[in-house]
Amino acid sequence: MKIEEKIIAIIQSNTEAKEGITLRSNLRQDLRLDSFGILMVINALEDTFAIALAEADFARVNTVGDVVSLLRGKYACA
Amino acid sequence: MEPEEFYQSLAIDKSPLQALRFNPYYLPLGGLRHGRPQLEGETYFDLASNDYLGLASDPRVHQAMTEGIREYGASMCGTPIATGYARILAELERQLARFTGLEAALVFPSCYQANVALFSCIAKPQDVILVDHYAHASLGQGIKAVGCKIKPFLHNDMEHLERQLAATAGFRQVFVVTESVFSTEGSIAPLGVIVDLCGRYHAIPVVDDSHGIGVLGKTGRGILEEKAIANYRGIYTASLGKALGNAGGMIAGNHLLVDALRYSCPGLIYSTALPPACAGGVLCALEIIRHEFGRIGAAMRENHRRLLETLRRRQFDLRSGPAPIAALHGGSAENTISLAREFFHHRILTTPFVPPSVPGGKGVLRLILGAKLDDEGLQGLMRAMDSLSPPESAPPIPVNYNVSTLPAGAGAPAGSVRETHGFS
Repeated sequence: MKIEEKIIAIIQSNTEAKEGITLRSNLRQDLRLDSFGILMVINALEDTFAIALAEADFARVNTVGDVVSLLRGKYACA
Repeated sequence: MEPEEFYQSLAIDKSPLQALRFNPYYLPLGGLRHGRPQLEGETYFDLASNDYLGLASDPRVHQAMTEGIREYGASMCGTPIATGYARILAELERQLARFTGLEAALVFPSCYQANVALFSCIAKPQDVILVDHYAHASLGQGIKAVGCKIKPFLHNDMEHLERQLAATAGFRQVFVVTESVFSTEGSIAPLGVIVDLCGRYHAIPVVDDSHGIGVLGKTGRGILEEKAIANYRGIYTASLGKALGNAGGMIAGNHLLVDALRYSCPGLIYSTALPPACAGGVLCALEIIRHEFGRIGAAMRENHRRLLETLRRRQFDLRSGPAPIAALHGGSAENTISLAREFFHHRILTTPFVPPSVPGGKGVLRLILGAKLDDEGLQGLMRAMDSLSPPESAPPIPVNYNVSTLPAGAGAPAGSVRETHGFS
């Protein structure tokens, strides 16, 4: 499974956002994730990829595509 | 920053409420008349307060509070650890422990204060706290203050909770935090399952039973009775300002925990104690519940059934859970407040929840009828509800403003660590 698909699957199974998630979906505005919703995504990413995400990194993340870029770039996830 | 600029930066944009010509927040209500609040000379039906059993207006409770004032004065004007610990407060703690079936209890000036103060006293940075996504803002604030790992789980989703629990190896202590009744939708936590899971993963459950105490269970003892949980080894908090009809909060559980909090919890020992009159009122309320819950509880449930029936007949979008709370789906913030305005125009007070206290687009109008009204009052309410405009023909709302600028209103205060479900 490609990292893009993996991240979308993680968001689907760990938040109340289930349908219509694309790389362009904005986590806060489109998927309506609040701070605990974002935290659920961060925790699931950490558990899946065995990494420790800095919250400051995630503060700059807006879209699902940004999550992919962050994990692929700084955390070398594939 | 100059002071003027600083204060200007705090200004709240109330234009959305001004556009609606209706502000449901901070209504300066007058005294009760026949159990109903007054506003500008008009009498309203109160479906906004959390007085489930009508005990706030029970003359016996008033008498008990009057006696408390006669004996102790208006306040002990001291912190509990110093001179604020009135004899009647000690008695209330004993009775609350007995009522909930727990080893010991501690009374706080409010449950919000209890929840915010609790976690910093019991948890350490090397711990992990699992918390229901919809848990109350006070729990969220308290948890955030610890600085430990926080793992929210999907609302009442036990599979998701177990997945989180399975990934807690290496932490010093695991806590699982939830509410008993989630007050914006009336859902009830599967606490029996949570307690079992906690046992399996050596975690400590923490439940806020604010909307359950005096409401749930065969004799009104709350969530532990409702779920038939014996020998609860977790931590229990609750408000004394809802079904118990008064003010204050409590933490109960293991006697070592309660003793530790008694001597080390800043939210308790640096705050003026709950006035003794309030303790007297709650003691009286507990006695009434002990002897009369069968009758009052049945009235509460029957009134709720009639309320739901009327709302369904009037074709409101009802999203209620099993607790005696009616939750109407309001959609956007402006539609939710518009819905509250429609009820208000028919002299019915309700509680609108809009973002940030609920997720965007998921506004809720909450109605709690409880056992407050007698037959005549109930008939009057049903007549008022029959004259409500059906939701689809509600007056149009101006759309040319930014709803994100709505004040937090029925939600967590600005800057709260937790956006959703901030109101009790």
